[in-house]
Parts: sequence; structure tokens; C-alpha cells
Amino acid sequence: MAGALTDPTRAPVAFGRRAVPQLFGELQRAGAAARLRALTSLCDLVHEPERLYQAVTGGFLKQLKVLFRDEDPSVRAKTCELLHLLTSHSIGRQAVLASSLLPPLCQLLDDSSFSCRRNVHRVLNRLALLPAGAEALLSLVPKLMLKLTKEEDEEVQLLLLSTLTHCSRLDALPGLASDGVSLLGRKLSHRSSNIRREAAAAMMALSVPMDGKRQVCEDAEVLPVLIGLLRDKDVEVQANAAGVIMSTVIITTGKQRCLDLDVLPVLLGLLSEKHGDDDKEEMKKRRKALIMYVLRALTSLAEAPNGRRLLLEQLPLVEKKAEAAEEDQDIRRATQTAIQVITWTP
Amino acid sequence: MRTKRHYGNIMYDRRVVRGNTYAKHIIPTTAQPDPAEIRRQQANRRRAIARKQAREQFRPNTPEALEGRKHTDVQTELYLEELSNIIATTDIECQTDPFLDRPATPLFIPAKSGKDVETQIEEGELFDFDVEVQPVLEVLVGKTIEQSLLEVMEEEELACLKAQQRAFEELRNNELAEVQRLQEMERRHNEEKERRIAQQREVLRKEKEIAEKIAARAYTQQYLAGLLPAVFTSLRSHGYFYNPVEKDIETNFFPWLMDEVNNRVERRCTAREILDSKRHCYFILFVDDNPFF
Repeated sequence: MAGALTDPTRAPVAFGRRAVPQLFGELQRAGAAARLRALTSLCDLVHEPERLYQAVTGGFLKQLKVLFRDEDPSVRAKTCELLHLLTSHSIGRQAVLASSLLPPLCQLLDDSSFSCRRNVHRVLNRLALLPAGAEALLSLVPKLMLKLTKEEDEEVQLLLLSTLTHCSRLDALPGLASDGVSLLGRKLSHRSSNIRREAAAAMMALSVPMDGKRQVCEDAEVLPVLIGLLRDKDVEVQANAAGVIMSTVIITTGKQRCLDLDVLPVLLGLLSEKHGDDDKEEMKKRRKALIMYVLRALTSLAEAPNGRRLLLEQLPLVEKKAEAAEEDQDIRRATQTAIQVITWTP
Repeated sequence: MRTKRHYGNIMYDRRVVRGNTYAKHIIPTTAQPDPAEIRRQQANRRRAIARKQAREQFRPNTPEALEGRKHTDVQTELYLEELSNIIATTDIECQTDPFLDRPATPLFIPAKSGKDVETQIEEGELFDFDVEVQPVLEVLVGKTIEQSLLEVMEEEELACLKAQQRAFEELRNNELAEVQRLQEMERRHNEEKERRIAQQREVLRKEKEIAEKIAARAYTQQYLAGLLPAVFTSLRSHGYFYNPVEKDIETNFFPWLMDEVNNRVERRCTAREILDSKRHCYFILFVDDNPFF
């Protein structure tokens, strides 16, 4: 308690149950500086689940709507941070979705203050983790795509990309309609590996419906970049790129294009790659995703005649992978499917 | 001037009228009593005094003392007491000295009893910081560590959940890809089947067409083979090919001939009939002329 008085950036906090209501009451009454202090104290309190529950069920969220239109940008930024902390819990997320805070929040996307925008993106990212939240955000996807082209900051781009990935996993059509494939294609060659990873993940989500696959094939630059990404240093980037390729080669055009671009040696190389620290659990897990995607891509490619021809030559390699005792159940199953498809004759 | 209020019992107030009303005591309206009234009241008072005196006279008193004796009052209690109306009193005064302070109370030092014992408190014996601070520190550090452990556990839990989610996502993506691939395969196979069936059907149809064409051709050929002679025969039988001379003879000559023959025969018949009717056998000159008979 004494700390609250001595810290000039925080409002004093009442004891026990009164803390949250009193701070919200102060928010309503006070002037600009006091509001900022009250918001800071609230942000500290809300880390605790009990206080969060109190804040959410006390019906205080309506006050936040008023605060969104405050003149002071730091107040707006702090409000968004508070929302961000509230959405770390499921009840908070549900309450935010139910209380129609989304439209004013979306208006803040065009805010002038950078920290405010970043916090808004954080909130949207957390909301997108919930399926209901992703559904609610689907209508925002075109706007978010626009933002992707305009924003330069890496963190905000990362948040945007991951929000887009989650929304597109639910329903990829809005993303595809707003020309997502070409946008993401440009992001694939970014210098930061985080952005590449997220862009590839978003692309993977977008390429699930047929339309997306076709668009990925039609766009002339995307596939070569993806195949280039397969040789990237970061395992996750490789995994996501392999995922995109895996979805694309399901359709015939995709198969043709990928075979033209000579993707098979790269994939086979990835399969037989051995890392020095392969025994580490984490690395194994990450590589598992990569290997599974690669196997599925090979399976799809093996359905094309020329692909099958090439793979028959490489069959021993794949069989060796299947017999490796250390591998996972899933990997073994995938390898067997691949072998089946490769050795199928009409 | 304020009148003095008399608080009296209302039950005994003369102004409250009680009792029967046919013999009312009417208070005179004037406040001043009449002189007659005053005299009457004075007379009443005198009479009351006289009556009291008379009553006193009749009260029995102690009889007078006998001769040579006197009545005196004597105290009969155990301890005699001087009786007098005047109470012996004394006045005593006391006055404190105005400028003299009260002297301090002398210290009460009781007489020494018991043994003399000494003790000396060394440095650090009453309060040892390290010892005292331990519980406080324990609580502080313990709470902090507990809080941080909770937070770390929460983070770990979240990380575990995230990892699980990621693994699930990957599996899901995989299975999705597999499902789509199988779907595609199905679709392609179906399409292929459809195409092949359509092709076969096409082939069959074509074959049938060709067979029909061949049959038709054969039939037509056969038909046409017999057509020409048949046509000629039919034409000939219909008389389209004719010998012009014959035709001419037929069309022109023969009718004339027949007519002529008819005429002749008719004439002959008529002649014969005439002959028959006449019963004369006449040689008709014509008969000899005519080469036909």
C-alpha cells in the first residue's frame, strides 16, 4: 500500500474486494493524469485471476469504450494494454467479444500513436486464438491485409501475420479475396526469420481451400520463393514452407509446377538431413513437423507420373526412413503411405 | 404583571363544575368579592379559631403537682446528656500560607532487604539483528519465491499447452493435407473413370454406327443390284419402252383396223340378221369381196 503512494505513476489501490471497483470509479471521475495512474494500477492488478474475474463481471467494460476516444494517446495505449491483459483469460476473451467492444477497437487501428496500435494488435492476436474470436475478426481481415502493407515495424507485422493465420485457419476465403497470396509472397523474402515463419504459416492456412491452391500456383513468384525457403536455416520456416508446398501439390497444376521447378531433390535432402543435436527433444519435435510435411508432399508428388518415376529411383532412401526405429508412429505411417503411393501401378 | 399560576388538582378545582346541575353553585361573575362576603369569611375565621381554642381546653393535661413537690424533667437513660437549646459550637479557621510551595514528598526508600545482585547487558544481547530478521526474511523470500514459482509454473503450463496446440495443429495440417490429397486422388480417379467410361461409350456408339452403316450399305447394295433390271422390267411392263413403229401401229392402225373390222362385222351381222329375218339366203357380195371370210 505504501508503495502505491510512493510510486507517482500509480493510483493507490483499495484493499481486497474494493480495489477494482474503486479504480474504475476513479477512472470515471478523474482528470487525465489520474486516469493514467488508475489505468496503470489496474493493469498491475489484473494479472491476478480473481481481480480479472471481478473486473470482467462487474460490468466495467463499458467504461473502457469511453476511454478509447480519450485525447491522450497514452491513456488509449494503456486501455488497450488493459484489454490485452484481460484477454489472457478465457472469460476475459468471452466478455470482450460479448460486450461489443470490437468496433471501437477496430477504429483505433488507425490511431496515430504507435504504442496504441501495437497494443490493439496484441489484443486482436489474443482474441484470434479463440475460435469465436477468430470468427468475429473475419470481417476485419481485408483491413488487416491493408495494414500489413503499410506497417513497417516487425513486432506489429508479426502480430498481424499471426492474427491472419488464425483467422484464415477458420475460414480462408476473406484472406484470399483480399489478395492475400501475393501480399504474403512478398513477405516471404523478408530479412527477419520470424516474419518469414509467420508469413509461411499464414500462406499455409490460406492454401487449404482449392481457390488458395490455385492462386498459389498462378502467382509466378511464390513457388520459387517457397522452394528457396526450404533451404532456410530456421527449422520452423522450413516446416511452414514445406506445409505450403504440401497443400499446393495436391492439385494437378501444383504438381506440374513444382516438378518443373525441381523440388524433389530439395525435399529428399530435407528428409535425410541429420542434425548434430538430433537427440534434443525440442529439435526432434520441430523436425517432426517438417518431416511429416515433406513426406506428405512427396506422397502427393508421387501421384504424378514423372514424379513417381523420379521417386522410384529414390525409393531405398524412403524405405530406410521407414525402418528407422527411433521415429514416431506418425512419421512411420506417413512413410508407409508414401511408399504405397510410389509403388502403385494403375 | 404576571399572574402567579396555581397548579392544583383539577379534581378539586372550584371552577370545574361537578355534581348535579339543578342546584349549581354559580360563581359570581365579578372577581371582586362583596363586602358582605368578606365579613362572612372573617366571621368564619374567627369562629374556627374559637373552636380550636375550645378544643384545646378540653384536652387532658397532666395534673398539677402536689404541695411541696415540683414537676421536673429527668433523663432516665444510661448516660446523662446535657440538654440545652443552645448547641455548643466552635468556629475554627484554617488558612494556608499563600506563598509557600508544598515541599516535595520525601523519597520512600524502604529498608533494604534481600541480596544485592548485579548484571550487565553486553552488546548485541538484547537485540541480534541476524536472529530477529530471520523470520521476516523467511516470509519475504518465501512469498517471493512462491509467487515466482507459481508464475514460472504458469508459464511452463502455458508453454506446454502451446506446444501441445502446435503439435495438434501440425497433425491437423498433416491429416488435412492427407485428406485433401486423398480427396483429390478420388476426384481424379473418378474423373478418369468417367472419362474412360465416356470414351468406351463413344467407341461403342461409333462401332454400332459403323455396323449399321455397313448393314445399310450391304442392304442398299443388294437392293440396288436388283434395282436396275427391276426398274427396266417395270418400265417395260408399264410400257415406257416402246417400239415406235409398233406403238404407232398399235395406236393408229389397230383402232382403225378394229373399227373397220367392227363395222364390217356389224354390217355382216346386220346383213345376217336381215338375211335371217328374210329367210332368204342371199349371198352377200361383200362376203366374196372380203378376204377375211
